[in-house]
Amino acid sequence: MTKTIAKTVLSLNLNGVVRDDVIPDNLLLVDYLREKASLTGTKIGCDGGECGACTVLIDGRPRHACLTLAATCQDSEIETIDGLSRDSRLTALQRGFNEKLGAQCGFCTPGMIMASEALLRRIPNPSETDIRDALAANICRCTGYVKIIEAVQFAAQALTEGEPAA
Amino acid sequence: MNETSPAQSIGVPKPLVDGPEKTTGKAMFAADFQTAETLVGRILRSPVAHANIIAMDIAKAEALPGVHAVVTEADCSDSYGVLPIAMNEWALARGRVRYRGEPVAAVAAIDVATAQRALDLIEVTYEELPAYFTAEAARAEGAVLLHDDKPGNIERDAEFDLGDVDAELAAADLVREIDVNCAEVCQVQMEPHAAFAEYDGARERLTIRPSTQVPFYVHKMLARTMGMAEGHIRVIKPHIGGGFGSRTETLQSDLIAGLLARKARATVKVVLSREETFITHRGRPESRIKMKVGMKADGTITAVDFTVQQRGGAYSGYGIVTILYSGSMIYGLYNIVSARFQGVRVLTNTPPCGAFRGHGTVKTRFAFEGLIDDMARELGLDPFAVRRANLLVAPTMTENDLLVNSYGLDQCLDWVENASGWKSRKGKLAPNKGLGMACSHYISGASKPKHWTGEPHATIHLRVDWDASITLLTGAAEIGQGSSTVMAQCVAETLGVDMGRINVISSDSALTPKDNGSYSSRVTFMVGNASIDAAQNLKARLVEAAARKLEIPAADVECLGEVYRGGQQDQGLTFEEVVMEALSGEGTITVKGNYDTIPESWGGRKYRGAAIGGTMAFSYAAQVVEVTVDPHTAEITVDKVWVAHDCGKALNPLAVEGQVQGSVWMGMGQAMSEETAFHEGLPLAANMLDYRVPTIIESPPIEVGIIEAADPHGPFGAKEAGEGSLSGFLPALTNAVADAMGVRAAELPLTPDRLLELLEKKVREDAATSGRNRGAA
Amino acid sequence: MELLSELKLHHPISVEDAVSLHAAAPTGRYLAGGSDLLVNVRRGIEQPGSLVYLDNIAELQSITDAPDQITIGAGVTLRELANSALVHEHFAAVAQAAGEVAGPSHREYGTLGGNLCLDTRCVFYNQSEWWRAANNYCLKSRGDICHVAPGGKKCFAAFSGDVAPALLLFDAEVELAGPSGRRRMALAELYRNDGMDHLTLETGELLVAVHVAKPSVPVTSAYAKSRVRGSIDFPLAGVALRMAMRDGRIAELRVGLTGVSPLPFLAGKLDKFIGRAPDQACLEDLRDAIRSQAKAMKTTVTPPHYRRRVAGALTLKLAQSLAQDLVEASS
Ligand SMILES: Cc1cc2nc3c(=O)[nH]c(=O)nc-3n(C[C@H](O)[C@H](O)[C@H](O)COP(=O)(O)OP(=O)(O)OC[C@H]3O[C@@H](n4cnc5c(N)ncnc54)[C@H](O)[C@@H]3O)c2cc1C
Ligand code: SF4
Ligand code: FES
Ligand code: FES
Repeated sequence: MTKTIAKTVLSLNLNGVVRDDVIPDNLLLVDYLREKASLTGTKIGCDGGECGACTVLIDGRPRHACLTLAATCQDSEIETIDGLSRDSRLTALQRGFNEKLGAQCGFCTPGMIMASEALLRRIPNPSETDIRDALAANICRCTGYVKIIEAVQFAAQALTEGEPAA
Repeated sequence: MNETSPAQSIGVPKPLVDGPEKTTGKAMFAADFQTAETLVGRILRSPVAHANIIAMDIAKAEALPGVHAVVTEADCSDSYGVLPIAMNEWALARGRVRYRGEPVAAVAAIDVATAQRALDLIEVTYEELPAYFTAEAARAEGAVLLHDDKPGNIERDAEFDLGDVDAELAAADLVREIDVNCAEVCQVQMEPHAAFAEYDGARERLTIRPSTQVPFYVHKMLARTMGMAEGHIRVIKPHIGGGFGSRTETLQSDLIAGLLARKARATVKVVLSREETFITHRGRPESRIKMKVGMKADGTITAVDFTVQQRGGAYSGYGIVTILYSGSMIYGLYNIVSARFQGVRVLTNTPPCGAFRGHGTVKTRFAFEGLIDDMARELGLDPFAVRRANLLVAPTMTENDLLVNSYGLDQCLDWVENASGWKSRKGKLAPNKGLGMACSHYISGASKPKHWTGEPHATIHLRVDWDASITLLTGAAEIGQGSSTVMAQCVAETLGVDMGRINVISSDSALTPKDNGSYSSRVTFMVGNASIDAAQNLKARLVEAAARKLEIPAADVECLGEVYRGGQQDQGLTFEEVVMEALSGEGTITVKGNYDTIPESWGGRKYRGAAIGGTMAFSYAAQVVEVTVDPHTAEITVDKVWVAHDCGKALNPLAVEGQVQGSVWMGMGQAMSEETAFHEGLPLAANMLDYRVPTIIESPPIEVGIIEAADPHGPFGAKEAGEGSLSGFLPALTNAVADAMGVRAAELPLTPDRLLELLEKKVREDAATSGRNRGAA
Repeated sequence: MELLSELKLHHPISVEDAVSLHAAAPTGRYLAGGSDLLVNVRRGIEQPGSLVYLDNIAELQSITDAPDQITIGAGVTLRELANSALVHEHFAAVAQAAGEVAGPSHREYGTLGGNLCLDTRCVFYNQSEWWRAANNYCLKSRGDICHVAPGGKKCFAAFSGDVAPALLLFDAEVELAGPSGRRRMALAELYRNDGMDHLTLETGELLVAVHVAKPSVPVTSAYAKSRVRGSIDFPLAGVALRMAMRDGRIAELRVGLTGVSPLPFLAGKLDKFIGRAPDQACLEDLRDAIRSQAKAMKTTVTPPHYRRRVAGALTLKLAQSLAQDLVEASS
């Protein structure tokens, strides 16, 4: 087989680290993250766009890594769950999900936390409706969402009380 | 010196011991394992529903560069299954396929593209057979048999007839019937199935990380399928992204990963798509239930007469157990004596069903609680009054010999009645709003294990080393339900030490003692008790050591958790000092603890299969659901749920709340939106758009009341918390809709289209009646 | 790792570049947010070979206000559209519809252009390659029968974008750029009643922008969709409604429908409602009129019976609430 596969030299900022990779054009961002960059925090829960488990932030906006071609992320800033806590300190959101039991099995959690992160950056003091609206593309099968809402409220409160984000 | 006292761990809300890795993305699930040489495993699935496999040619696929292994049934040493008497499934179809999507071959290749190309090169010749997608079609006269040893395509007929049903029905003041049909539903745990298998060719050893709830069964079935000694296989349970019963049995993907790894003599990862995960199924069967209940004017139930037909899918799986539960669990919740049950589990050309959270109980409960609600209305009784007229008094044995030692249903009823403001609000809500309630119960583990091997139900090892840390080794599978946390709490509480001392290692067959796995809510009860036993044994060793060091009799040693001392004045020894003494001359110590159920809990012998239902303790739950129905679109909004759950003792109130909320909410999906559907055996909804797991938008607030009717045998009195409140939601919802709109839903899920049909039918009927009345006047 | 067919990705920065890159590989596709297209590529339904990525083209990315009209670039995201005060003020139904598409994360990157050019949907079509092959494919893709209406030769896959019916209320126009230059036409003309080929775009034509004239007097409009879940789901039926009242009577009435046929369309024969008071009888007549035009077929797991009825029911509800608003506003 001598067929040449279209490739791109991808430069981006991944969790604060600038990196270059040669990748095929048909590589999904979620596969790039998990298999090229070995950041397996981002999960795959469905066959495309239906569950939110793969939610990452691209230039601060939540996006499904499973419906994004990695090569479209040229020069972007990508944030994943793997890079959220700095110096091994849990962020307020991570503590909220931990202490309020917003994570049971934890499989939806990376996506939930990234979507919540985007919310809190936009609306530091969200109402319950704001939280529901922001997480409405993320499915959780364990919690019934009650404690997820409490987890985000916990984080919002911790943050507005002046705790540093990380 | 400060007053020391033992640390308290039980009854205190505790975050999960493995919470931090889950919230940072560090938790490793099966699909997260990867090495540079890992091969990609992919499965070829049958496109037809029922056919003999006439020929299969894998030569071209094997010859494709980059392909390291192709496996078929020829690579399997034996069949597999759940029950020792019903092992009729093969990891890869042998001779015949029985549902669309059944695995027929699998490949391991260097990348996805090569694996896919290899699958395309496998040639299978099928000779199609008639296929049956409904229970009725499979049972019809002359239908071709799916399995030669299952006449009539019946997996199992089950029945019992206890008390005197006919006489009791005749003696009733009101007898009513209901005929319900509940759609098949699927667990849809968030993690698609996956397995990471490493084969050590030099030593002929397999190490596998499957996404399972039952590592022990997977271990056994791998050995059976691969013809390997169990000792040559190591099963390590990674983090598990939920299960709800879909992984309560060995799945083909687990076995295929092992087969591929061995044949390729390499590391292979099999990760199923969401569609394949749906096809693997093992969900709750479509069930048709016809039920007749007799009631006295005061609400006392005189008898229950019911039939259950389940569309079980193509293989046995848990089928026999499921159909037996759907009968036996009519008992144990209320004081019912006379009951007659006829159940039939049917084999069909659809993916195999399995054990879904609330196993076997859910649809029977739906039929029953809806029916008695209607009867209460007819008799002018409040729904709460009807339930209260039929309470059990513990301790007792039910008519089918189920042991009930603790019973908090009465308290559950009181709690939800108050919390929901039932008395002041029921019947006074705005138009199109309604309140409904229902009760439910569930076992705390089946008392008789499936594989009776004579060893204890549960075993825990505690290892203490020179650093004074305690390692809790358990085979129990933490799957997100918080079992590792509960075990750590039980040990910490018994020893009086801080939970931070305890590290839990869950399910690695090379390290941890055997455990049956996480199903039927057995873990808290059985493994919790074993943890306490182990901790008590450890404590005895530590007390002995302290006595030696303090030079006092062991009986005089006072254990304050972190300090062991001889009396008030004594400075005492720190935990570390005690541990050093205990280890001196002996080295690291490992103690164990066991748990066994008592024979009284093993269920009865009054009918064939009567052991199914036997448990050490039942959890109880009651709930009230408030709904608003849009009369135009027939959309239902669940405004709020109040649920009380009797878990004996909330070892970790935070986790109990989470489990109860999750159960109620899962009941909501089944009641309102979730169903699998087939087009000639092809799953129409094998994705998360068409299979509608509720989103956060329509999910209601769920207020939980914890009721603690301590069980004398439970660990600190605890019973199950993770399943019992599921089944109550379905009837509580339809009862609320009946309250709001005056229609009784007999088909689930109650999607807007179904409800609209009911509402339109009612309008027509009301018009007809008022027309008749006008005519008569 | 997901297997996607091989493709070459292009990153043009102008409309003209995009059009010529597309012309060089005519079997390719324009890629906007990808929230529809990449699902189909993953399922092997589309194997475009070349994708022309639109996100770097500045011209497509903004909403511009002029005295008589507003122009919405095709690359504007649904979130921007839903949050635009300008759009809200003049075309409330459009902003509402944009805010009802899929879930919040989809709206962050899903675009107006992608939403208007969305592929039609059918439960026999939006399935994996294995599934469709096992089902002998269908007319819309690689097969020769329709599983919805097995006798016929027509495809009934439903157009299920939320925004189009709302834009139809305002006689929106689309600006297109193709190998032979730019042209403008009514949005309604972008669609045809054929589930296999529902867009009238010529090969390689790019949707550049949508132009909507501002009504001379403020008009009231709203959008509602039916779905089983509160989020994520495509519309089982979507209804956009525009209404004006004079002296307590309906002076203007338009109803746009989506999700019930291969194209979004404005309901016909509504003249008879002009001049009527929006009382119960009128609203029920309107409901029945819409029901009879919403000819949903068995393209979803939810039965078509319901989709027809709920289209009527949503119309009734919207008309009722808009009438109430209008009466309150005038009193
Ligand atoms: C789980 C899920 C739920 C969804 N629910 C909904 C829903 O409820 N309602 C709804 O409307 N949509 C829904 N969608 C579909 C989709 O998210 C939206 O319609 C979105 O607006 C599509 O925009 P996009 O930019 O992502 O389009 P893309 O996927 O990039 O493109 C879609 C199509 O339009 C073409 N195209 C894109 N831009 C142009 C252009 N400028 N000129 C010419 N052709 C163009 C593409 O070639 C492609 O054929 C859902 C999707 C998912 C995955
Ligand atoms: S309507 Fe018929 S032809 Fe069109 S997609 Fe559905 S099955 Fe295929
Ligand atoms: S994996 Fe991306 S949305 Fe499910
Ligand atoms: S915690 Fe398990 S899916 Fe959300």
